[in-house]
Amino acid sequence: MTRWALVADLRACVGCQTCTASCKQTNATAPDVQWRSVLDFETGSFPDVGRVFVPVGCMHCSQPPCMEVCPSTATGQRDDGIVTIDYDLCIGCAYCAVACPYQARYKITKPSRAYGNDGMMRVEEYCEDPARLGVAQKCTFCSDRIDSGLATGLTPGIDPAATPACVNSCISGALHFGDRDDPESNVSTLLRENHHFRMHEEMTTEPGIYYLWEKALDRPEEGNDIAIKPQKLASRGVGGVGGAAPWLQQHWDWRVTANFIGGGTGTGLMVAVAISSLFGAAVMPLAMFALVFVLAGLTMVLTELGRPFRSMNVLFHPQTSWMSREALLAGPLCVAIVAAAWLDSPLLALLAALIGMGFLYCQARMLHGGKGIPIWRENMSVSLIISTGLVEGAGVMALTSASLSPGVVGALLALILLRAWIWHSYRRNLVGSSPDRAIAVLRRYNTPFTVIGTILPLVLVAGGFMLPEIGHILYPLAGLGALLSGWLLKYVMINRAAYNQGYAIEHSPERSAGSGGGQGAAPGWNDAL
Amino acid sequence: MGNDSPTNTRHVSTYCYQCVAGPDLLTVKVEDDVATQVEPNFAAEEVHPASGKVCVKAYGLIQKTYNPHRVKTPMKRTNPDKGKDQDPGFVAISWDEALDTIAERLEKIRGDGLRDESGYPRLAASFGGGGTPTSYMGTFPAFLGAWGPTDMGFGSGQGVKCYHSEHLYGELWHRAFTVCPDTPLSEYIISFGANVEASGGVCGVKRHADARIRGARRIQVEPHLSITGACSEEWVPIKPKTDAAFLFAMIHVLLHEHPREKLDLEFIKHRTTSPYLIGNFGFFMRDPESRKPLVWDANTNKAVAFDTPGIDPVLEAAFLVEKAVEEDADGKVWEHFDQRCFSSFEKLVAHFKQYTPLWASKICGVPAETIRRIAIDYLQHARVGETIEIEGRRLPLRPVAIMLGKTVNNGWGGFDCCWARTMLACLIGGLEVPGGTLGTTVRLNRPANSRQASVISTRDGIMDYPMNPTDEENWVSRPEVRNANRTLVPLVANSPWSQALGPTHLAWMMQDQTPQNWPKPTMPDLWFVYRTNPVISFWDTDSIAKTISRFPFTVCFSYTHDETNHMADILLPECTDLEGLQLMRIGGTKYVEQFWKHQGFALRQPVVKAPDGTRDMSWIATELARRTGLLEAYNKAINRGAAGVSLSGDNFDFNLDETKAHSVEEIWDASCRAASAELTNGEETQGLDYYREHGYRMTPMSQLDWYLYPSLEDQNIRFELPYQERLHRHGKELANRLHSRGISWWDHQLEEYDPLPEWKDYPGIWEQALEKNFNIDIKDYPFWLLTSRSMQYAWGGNADIQMIREVSRNIGGHGGVVMNSGKAAELGIEDGDLVEISSPLASTSGMAILRQGIRPDTLLMIGQFGHWATPLAKTFNTPSINKLVPMLLDLTDSSGSSSDLVKVSIKHIRTPS
Repeated sequence: MTRWALVADLRACVGCQTCTASCKQTNATAPDVQWRSVLDFETGSFPDVGRVFVPVGCMHCSQPPCMEVCPSTATGQRDDGIVTIDYDLCIGCAYCAVACPYQARYKITKPSRAYGNDGMMRVEEYCEDPARLGVAQKCTFCSDRIDSGLATGLTPGIDPAATPACVNSCISGALHFGDRDDPESNVSTLLRENHHFRMHEEMTTEPGIYYLWEKALDRPEEGNDIAIKPQKLASRGVGGVGGAAPWLQQHWDWRVTANFIGGGTGTGLMVAVAISSLFGAAVMPLAMFALVFVLAGLTMVLTELGRPFRSMNVLFHPQTSWMSREALLAGPLCVAIVAAAWLDSPLLALLAALIGMGFLYCQARMLHGGKGIPIWRENMSVSLIISTGLVEGAGVMALTSASLSPGVVGALLALILLRAWIWHSYRRNLVGSSPDRAIAVLRRYNTPFTVIGTILPLVLVAGGFMLPEIGHILYPLAGLGALLSGWLLKYVMINRAAYNQGYAIEHSPERSAGSGGGQGAAPGWNDAL
Repeated sequence: MGNDSPTNTRHVSTYCYQCVAGPDLLTVKVEDDVATQVEPNFAAEEVHPASGKVCVKAYGLIQKTYNPHRVKTPMKRTNPDKGKDQDPGFVAISWDEALDTIAERLEKIRGDGLRDESGYPRLAASFGGGGTPTSYMGTFPAFLGAWGPTDMGFGSGQGVKCYHSEHLYGELWHRAFTVCPDTPLSEYIISFGANVEASGGVCGVKRHADARIRGARRIQVEPHLSITGACSEEWVPIKPKTDAAFLFAMIHVLLHEHPREKLDLEFIKHRTTSPYLIGNFGFFMRDPESRKPLVWDANTNKAVAFDTPGIDPVLEAAFLVEKAVEEDADGKVWEHFDQRCFSSFEKLVAHFKQYTPLWASKICGVPAETIRRIAIDYLQHARVGETIEIEGRRLPLRPVAIMLGKTVNNGWGGFDCCWARTMLACLIGGLEVPGGTLGTTVRLNRPANSRQASVISTRDGIMDYPMNPTDEENWVSRPEVRNANRTLVPLVANSPWSQALGPTHLAWMMQDQTPQNWPKPTMPDLWFVYRTNPVISFWDTDSIAKTISRFPFTVCFSYTHDETNHMADILLPECTDLEGLQLMRIGGTKYVEQFWKHQGFALRQPVVKAPDGTRDMSWIATELARRTGLLEAYNKAINRGAAGVSLSGDNFDFNLDETKAHSVEEIWDASCRAASAELTNGEETQGLDYYREHGYRMTPMSQLDWYLYPSLEDQNIRFELPYQERLHRHGKELANRLHSRGISWWDHQLEEYDPLPEWKDYPGIWEQALEKNFNIDIKDYPFWLLTSRSMQYAWGGNADIQMIREVSRNIGGHGGVVMNSGKAAELGIEDGDLVEISSPLASTSGMAILRQGIRPDTLLMIGQFGHWATPLAKTFNTPSINKLVPMLLDLTDSSGSSSDLVKVSIKHIRTPS
């Protein structure tokens, strides 16, 4: 077998960005799209400061999280390990982009010009590839060069015509490319002779880019399997396109949030309606409200897709993609709600609620599947999304019902308390496993969320118990608080605190053979500077 | 080079010489007549030291070719008022109108006389980029050669942006226009601010990367942690402009803290002037008859001429010289009888007793133990006594070297640093030997293409040097050009490069103020500007802009509108890098670290067709020559070699008919044939077609030519160190000349002609100059502001290339002012805040970039920005040091250069939302 791998020698790299520029031209990427780039890390503090240049890009992971989440099967993997994107299948949902912990994927929706409105260059006109608009794009390891080279008997990594452009262009000899499965290949030899690490190894993605940092002087046999102890040290990272420290994800905007809001509130409401109907309450008109919420959410997310006319491709990958699964449930959910409402049937309402729970669970798992966003991949995000959906549903019921049964009020109270507990546990779990700025944002929103979503509803419900004559005013207000706080929570989680993984190095490179490498760095983590 | 895909795809070979670290070879992929990609030239892997690769700047050439902001037709100014605030009102004109207008001006100049009433050339020309424009201007040098006197002394960066002291003293001491380590053999390099990883080009970067991985150690001594510091084993954050003290202390450690045997005594005795005896008046003690310097011979125990066969020179003893003379300035001779005296080496030892590491530590802000440790490491890695065989010749191996960066090796203190670095190399026998400290090329000595050929002995047993005369009879008392290079700077010699290496800012300064007893300053009647933008790239840029706006007629070869051509009268759009045709010499040894084992020629050829309204520089030069009646002289100049290669030789003759105007292709075809003939002694005469297909033509050269030591050894010549007797004499003579004409404003500079450098408070020179000239309290300006080169931009003139801007921002420091995070916290400044930086001269503003890797008392602005006319670049809002550095005589050293640093204050303006 063949497994293509890139080896970046951190000892040699000078951050010149020649590889970045070469990649941009070879692949005709748009301004600010960098399939390959080199980051600039600082480690330590004055006067004991280090600085490391780190080439990054798609890691062509053996276990690529992008491929797992892709709903259209556009993202695939070749037998030689190269992770691919089929531009004709991709719907441009950018789920892969938020699932990638290496920030390697880009999506641009309209042609962008180097000189903006001042004119389109002839080279831009010539190289423009409309197939790439609105879909995910990333480093291909120059697979076209590899394939055409192999077809003519050349060896990738050795013969320039069969080698990725970034490697060809590297002026310091930092970048190497070759077959990891061939023990005698150039890259296998380098990995045997030098200590190395892979980025975010703890995420078990098994990336295909290896970083050399130290010569294996006395123990060459250890070079290949040297145990790397992760040491996440605070540091500052800088950079133009993103930089080394985590930054707020830009792939999913408020329209995706609207889907989580609509889906969560709608399905939560359907659950509330179904349970109420068991106690004699009418299914109409609240079930239709639930339908409106769900459909509104789905409509909004449709506008977010880069290729909305291919949106049905979302159904292609239910084997592993929670987005496909969510989409698959959307139809039955809507049908069940309509049927339940049409026939005013508690039984059908219950069915709709069950499907709704499934839909809500898919949504929660979908967010959780965004592995590139640490606050999403935290396990408790699943229960948080589900609980807030139920709270929002109960909130809508409280808001819209003229009179509420004690059972509904009690359920609302219980759900609010459950959500508050999950929220607390969720935030506690994030400490140490999320970027500093994400934690800071969640901390900033904790007070308004807790006040609006927990304290206020509790006070209002308590007031309603004590002063039943104004309960019809207080309970809806409590419901409103529960609802809005849930929406706020999702907005914050997706659009305000969704800092990505950023980049990290386990070790600084040694700066002369034998001097030994230094400390690693994870800019933006653990109370960074 | 043939098609290789269903689309019409070609790979066209050419060269990149955008920065001084080139030229390098590349190919451009052209698909359906569109240049799409820059690629390495892997065909040149065997001959090019960096395997046929080019750096990021070359990749910007695609956008440079297709930039929508290009000027694509000649233009003339319609608004007679010039200035930053004036709209030039450029309108398109035909080439005929443009060239006729210029030719008319030029003919008037010839009618009026080539020099004006002050004796200055009426025609001036400025080029940028450390000489690189020559590789793009085709036969324009032949036009200037045909023209006659031209003032090329209006600087656009020279002196303050270059390695100026190194250029001049390097050429004097070891034919080193620039200096570098023999990196492939080096084991230990101390780099004082040299930023080779950013400015060393592909060859420099590759050599140092290989050295690191091989195990070579590099210590980076500089106030901020540069790219090069990042890739070094250790960063020593030294106070700005105190490097000389560090180096002096290293000399002290070697001389006073270690036994003499640790030094390379053989080298010191026989390859330096250390044994030369010094008389009471500070000059060599000489044999009264031969006038040769005397040394003390251990065999005969008496003073003898240095070149007496079979002697064993003594470095340290009590010398009693029976009879000798000293040659003072202006031919004055002092006679001595039974005179007690000291050797140069003893003078050195005594002089450096005071410069201890403890003394230096207080000046440099670096612990004494660090200085001592580095000096000891330097000594230990020197491997004194070891040898290596290079191509059959056994030479000393000294794998240690010291590099000096910009701001360290120019301006006040530059001489001290250059001297100390070279002296440290001599003490361990590491000058111009394998592994050691090497020169790269010559620009002042002649011939231009051989360092070795200029190694000719003087009567004193040292290398001859084309010093500008300072004696009464021959001194160039009336400046030939406005920067008075030959009048004021003996060291600057008289080569085609000398004007650009004079005190180039004096040409600008004197436009505003006439120094005492000096010819009246005049403006050039016509000023050509090619590939340079002094309004951005020089110092005190606001005043440069004002001066340029007064020039009567400026012709700018223009790529886009920019800040200098904003003041132009005519814009001439030339073919750019990928569109023009030119042959140039490549290979050999060249700055910054180009050490080839081949030499030859490479062709720059049109990769794609140039826009209709643009013209090849050689066509423009020919047309100017034709329209000004200079065609014959122009063709003669080309035949002579003004375009890079002489068209005739011993066994070949491709001379052009001098009476005819030749096409661009005819000129370069003849050049190609002559180049091939030169390389093969006339055996081969490949023409333009061959070079178009192959790109270059090379022949092997000996690695021994990397080193100067063999030439000195063969001729028994010594390096002129430690004692600067010759300079000392020239300094005294120059003082006599200037004082006899009532000129005292150069007195401060005259003090620098010390035979042995003496520490002066260099940071204090800056502080006092600012206080004196601006009537300020220096305490109000607590930070040193520095600049640093960027690999993406350095020398490239490419601020208007979007892709370069984009990728450069991946590297910290671009786009704002870098300051220490801790210091910023003290001042309440956060990353990204808008801050105002003020020097006593001017203010600018920009984004604060907080880093740990910079001294708390230092700020840094990378590159050269502050554009206000150049498309795209004018939107950057990136602050530039150039606006803040005042142009002062007090900050000008004896070589005519200064350093781009200044004291500043910082003020928080606002935190962006």
